[in-house]
Amino acid sequence: MTHEEALQRLPDLLDDRDDPALLGHVRGCADCQRQLFLLGRVDRMLRVGAPMRQRRPLARVLAAAGGVAAAAAAMLAFLLLPQASRGQEFMLRTSAGRPVGHALMTHSDKRNDSLALSARGLPIDRDHVFVLWAGDDRTSMEVGRFMVDRFGGCRVHFNLPATHAWRRFWVTKPGNEAAVVAST
Amino acid sequence: MTARPLVTPSDDSAPASPGPSDAELLRATAAGSEPAFAELRSRYERAVARVCRTVAGSEYEDCEQEVFVRIWGKAALFDPERGSAATWLLTLARRTALNVRARQRPHAPLADEADGAVERDEVEAFWLDAALARLSDRERLVLELAYRGDLSESAIAKRLRVPLGSVKSWKRRGLNRLATLLGEEAP
Repeated sequence: MTHEEALQRLPDLLDDRDDPALLGHVRGCADCQRQLFLLGRVDRMLRVGAPMRQRRPLARVLAAAGGVAAAAAAMLAFLLLPQASRGQEFMLRTSAGRPVGHALMTHSDKRNDSLALSARGLPIDRDHVFVLWAGDDRTSMEVGRFMVDRFGGCRVHFNLPATHAWRRFWVTKPGNEAAVVAST
Repeated sequence: MTARPLVTPSDDSAPASPGPSDAELLRATAAGSEPAFAELRSRYERAVARVCRTVAGSEYEDCEQEVFVRIWGKAALFDPERGSAATWLLTLARRTALNVRARQRPHAPLADEADGAVERDEVEAFWLDAALARLSDRERLVLELAYRGDLSESAIAKRLRVPLGSVKSWKRRGLNRLATLLGEEAP
């Protein structure tokens, strides 16, 4: 399959049309992965407010493409956080190892660090609120609460005191600190 | 009587070029380019109309006019470093519509909408309206039937009386074009 053919047929992956040749190409093609990520966003926008048949979520598309998931997550971070190289990056994963988010910590000033969190596919049930925690070698603190959309996605920013060397981040359900949903 | 296709072969012409980005049009508008302003208006008139109808109610026509007058006058204030063109346009449209509504009902509370702040989903919907306007008629029609009409590709082909392959092709092309525009504009 040529690159042009693959690009043209990428929208098929939004429906239930697994095509081994297409998926094989996407695995090794950064341009197609980027376009697939954008197609997923377009598909979501079109679906908002529209009475839709059940569609295959992009996460399943990416899972079908195997290694594409990690690349797409990296692409998501690249697109949303273009200044990534200037900060410290953390990948949030579920206990099963599925990447669900990305955090970038940068130094704002003498007293503050800034944390930009982007997530997609956090597991949601009754409510859509999560709590973000940060920890260093000795202590931990609640960074803040955030709300995700119906696809478990969000983009939020938090301030952290720059008095600690924050190395770990994790996400829990509100009111249940033991229920870790994802962690770095 | 033979059933005639609703989408004619002439619709198969090459898709329109994506053209300049919204940000480029705003910059050109700020420099006084009337063609750029006309293009921007054609892209966003449906999206602006939706905001005005929702917020300004019966005064929506005045609202639409006022929004575009303001875009013409304030385009130089758009700063791409602070957000996308769609966000800027939606914020301006929302604030204008709120002003129009306040003139209608000066004592009505505006609650938390008073600053015209916009949510990400609103920006995306606003951008999408404008982006759909940049597709060819058949691409837009197929996407609207697929997503808003909840029709399968076969059902769309039947309704439009065109081959299934054409529907698949237009849908792919429409989605790919929207994705490309999204990559350029990033609302």
